[in-house]
Amino acid sequence: MRKSRTVARAALAAGTVLVLAACGGSPTSPSADSGDNADSGPTKAEELYEEIGGLSGQERRDRLVELAAEENGLNLYTSMNADILDSVSEAFTDTFDIDVNVYRAGSETVLQRILQEQDAGFPGNDVVETNGSELGALQKEGVMAQCVAQELIDQVPEAGQSEAWTSTRFNLFAPSWNTNIISGDMVPTSWEDLADPKYDGQLALELGDYDWYLGLTDLWLSEGKSQEEIDQLFADMVDGAVVVKGHTVMAELMSAGQFGVAASNYSYIVEAAKAAGAPVETQPYVSPVIARPNGGSCMKNAENPATAMLFMDWLLEEGQQVIADLELTPAIAEGDALGGAELVAVDSERLLEQGDEWSAKYDELLAGAETIE
Amino acid sequence: MTLTSPPVRAEERTEPTGSTGASPSRRKLPLSPKFFIVAGVAAAIGYLALVPLGYLLWGTFFDAEGFDLGGFERAYGSGRMGELWGNSLAFAGGSAFLSLTVGTTLAYLNVRTAVPFKALFFAASIVPLIVPGILYTVSWIFLASPQIGLLNNFLEPVFGTAPFNIFSIWGMIWVEGLHSSPIVFLLMVAAFRSMDPSLEESALMSGATRLQTLRRVTLPLVRPALLSSVLVILITSLESFEVPALLGLQNGIYVFTSRIYFVFRSYPRDLQAAGALAVSLLAIAVIGVIIARLLAGRGTKTYQTVTGKGFRPRPLDLGKWRPVVGAGILIYFFATVVGPLLVLIYAALLPYYQAPSAEAFASFTLDNFRQVFEMDSAGRALVNSLVLGISAAVIVMALMSIAAWISVRSTIPGRGIVEQLSFVPLVIPGIVLGVSISFVYLRSPIPIYGTLLILLIAYCTKYMPYGMRYATTSMTQISSELEESAQVSGASWWTTFRRVLLPLLSPGIMAGFVYILVVSFRELSSSLLLYSPGNEVLSILIWEQFENGSFNVLAAIGVLMVVALVIMVTIAYKLGAKVGLRED
Repeated sequence: MRKSRTVARAALAAGTVLVLAACGGSPTSPSADSGDNADSGPTKAEELYEEIGGLSGQERRDRLVELAAEENGLNLYTSMNADILDSVSEAFTDTFDIDVNVYRAGSETVLQRILQEQDAGFPGNDVVETNGSELGALQKEGVMAQCVAQELIDQVPEAGQSEAWTSTRFNLFAPSWNTNIISGDMVPTSWEDLADPKYDGQLALELGDYDWYLGLTDLWLSEGKSQEEIDQLFADMVDGAVVVKGHTVMAELMSAGQFGVAASNYSYIVEAAKAAGAPVETQPYVSPVIARPNGGSCMKNAENPATAMLFMDWLLEEGQQVIADLELTPAIAEGDALGGAELVAVDSERLLEQGDEWSAKYDELLAGAETIE
Repeated sequence: MTLTSPPVRAEERTEPTGSTGASPSRRKLPLSPKFFIVAGVAAAIGYLALVPLGYLLWGTFFDAEGFDLGGFERAYGSGRMGELWGNSLAFAGGSAFLSLTVGTTLAYLNVRTAVPFKALFFAASIVPLIVPGILYTVSWIFLASPQIGLLNNFLEPVFGTAPFNIFSIWGMIWVEGLHSSPIVFLLMVAAFRSMDPSLEESALMSGATRLQTLRRVTLPLVRPALLSSVLVILITSLESFEVPALLGLQNGIYVFTSRIYFVFRSYPRDLQAAGALAVSLLAIAVIGVIIARLLAGRGTKTYQTVTGKGFRPRPLDLGKWRPVVGAGILIYFFATVVGPLLVLIYAALLPYYQAPSAEAFASFTLDNFRQVFEMDSAGRALVNSLVLGISAAVIVMALMSIAAWISVRSTIPGRGIVEQLSFVPLVIPGIVLGVSISFVYLRSPIPIYGTLLILLIAYCTKYMPYGMRYATTSMTQISSELEESAQVSGASWWTTFRRVLLPLLSPGIMAGFVYILVVSFRELSSSLLLYSPGNEVLSILIWEQFENGSFNVLAAIGVLMVVALVIMVTIAYKLGAKVGLRED
């Protein structure tokens, strides 16, 4: 008897929660008041972006340095890797003597944190620097303002230009291989190669790389392949492939010889392993290299808007060299870093609009991955 | 050996209390210190549990337009759902069975028998707990992969090609089961330590064999602890994604958490679908807790082994089985501790992983360790992790000791809800926990957001279920006659609790403390969302190395964590040994 009362009470408690919950809108549904900032007139930060937007060149830089000196450093939220970030923030601080407070997390977590803070009107960050698709989501929420000098935006490839953010660097997806296992004829020279049965049991795909899947599909469509042909190529790729979660684990297992070829690792992770002496290689690159834009922007409710602008300008000028020195791919590229290979960017807008669909399709595709024995 | 008193069943020894007899304290004015303490603890638990639960349910059942069940369709609509659940249940059931068998056996041998190599138990019980799941799993890939596994290489001449395949459901069960066996071990050690050996001795005297004694007397007496273990392990393995992702996916074994993974990757995050998946875990948990309560409630006295009659836990002589058991322990120790740890140390000394060879040994370097020590924030992160780990462990165990009293011993109406609520955070995905906490404290007038305190709240919430399991398991073993004697002698409720119950609970409290301290060092999902610049914790640094692709630096951090936590836990045990039940 007592037990059934306990159950009833538990049910009652759960019911109360539901009723209380019903009194408000869902905290997890896209916020109804997104873009609120835009409706209630421009913020102070936006006014500053507007005012400085009219300036260019040295005049702009001088004015920003002057204004930034009166602000309290820079609050940056980013998904840059720690070693890249250390170099970037150190160089910025050395140049302007401005402290950089950094919150670093995965791109999805950075997005989640900003959405939560903006929803509560909490000005946590001045600048966000993260993956293109997350920036696209923030653009949709209307919380960022374009703050980069137009002359710099014009130099960025079109795939890296957007209404409210600007690309600062590209992450490259390229096939990589273990040179002890794969050599001579076995080295892949085109994306289509990966569908070849000779890689059965040797090819690895990453669990979350649906952006790569979308990028490669678009590339093949633009080359005139039909959807059936593309589906067949992917099906052949997955046939006999293994699925790995995480790019770091992927590189480590490939170095160790667990499999010979990784279809879609980030080139910088493989390069790092190679620099440590691991028998791995990404070059000559399979052309075209599929690139995913990463970028940044200033927040509409930034507390240090001049510093934010200064940082974004700097990142697209002097900062580009810092990025290039780290063997990464800056958005404003000089010379030929890819050894003649072309670069095709993943469509960020489409990734944002159809992300769910592509993620589900990729999931379904991988589910067909066969057993290796 | 002569028994001074005739053997009696535990239930015959205690006076029934609870619903039949009102305890003296109930007649007091409600506004006593007891009232405030009990109400305060209940409110704290309710608050900690309801924030994420409310958020989860709200997000699952409502969208901007109102009540909506679309998430369930998206979560369960897939044609593969049956297969996913099948795999998940096989994996979770297998892991629970393995960790239960291993953990209970080791705990029994450790506490109740004169087994050799007792010092090894200590290491075996916490090392798998300290090593982050991803490192533990990858070490097993290096040991037992058909392609590159070291064990497979060593054993090939004996058993033929690749006797082990870690990329199978058995491999998944093996790794997850071993990784979670310390939870069971700690819980069962506490239970066995509080058990009067005279009951077993009576059985043996009456002619029962050792096996019969074990089956008919020992195991039934620790049923609440066994049940708690099964419940916790089942749910944590159902939620676990590290092991299935690294070992199962290679062979196309998908579990239902892989759905949650995909659901969380999309934007806008489909919290409705993720919540719908979490709700089924919640249902399993609620049913599990009800069953546990029914069983424990049915024999309020059956499990009470700490009674007014004094006892000294005396180890059982193993006789001719001693060498066999000793060998078994050595094998277990090598499998769970030495093997994976050696692989980690080996990886930490290499610039990149390669199979052992003269060349590999020649390239040994301390660079990875140097990199760890050169990290700017490493020292600060270690201090933050220590402060958070110890505070969370102390707060949770303090709250849960009182909560266990409310749930097991009191006659307060609605006491069952306290236990149910304390269990809720176990089924809340880490990221949902983080988001719900930031949602509340971004709007709170008290400036907690952006401080270490918000992480402490997250940790206390997350580890409450474990603390509660450890505390209630011990509480069910303590006979109410002890409490009554204290009260009859004029002690207040608070004095009784502090001077009688708390020392008797100490095996369980100690186990819970160690568990929370150790696992809080690797909490990532909510830490990552809630930390702020300057408040980094160790798990964030580990994650950064992971993102950098520096697996070998990660191995170095893992090795250092094992060293640091083994030292700390040793200190904790030494301090803990000064109170409570003592062995000879």
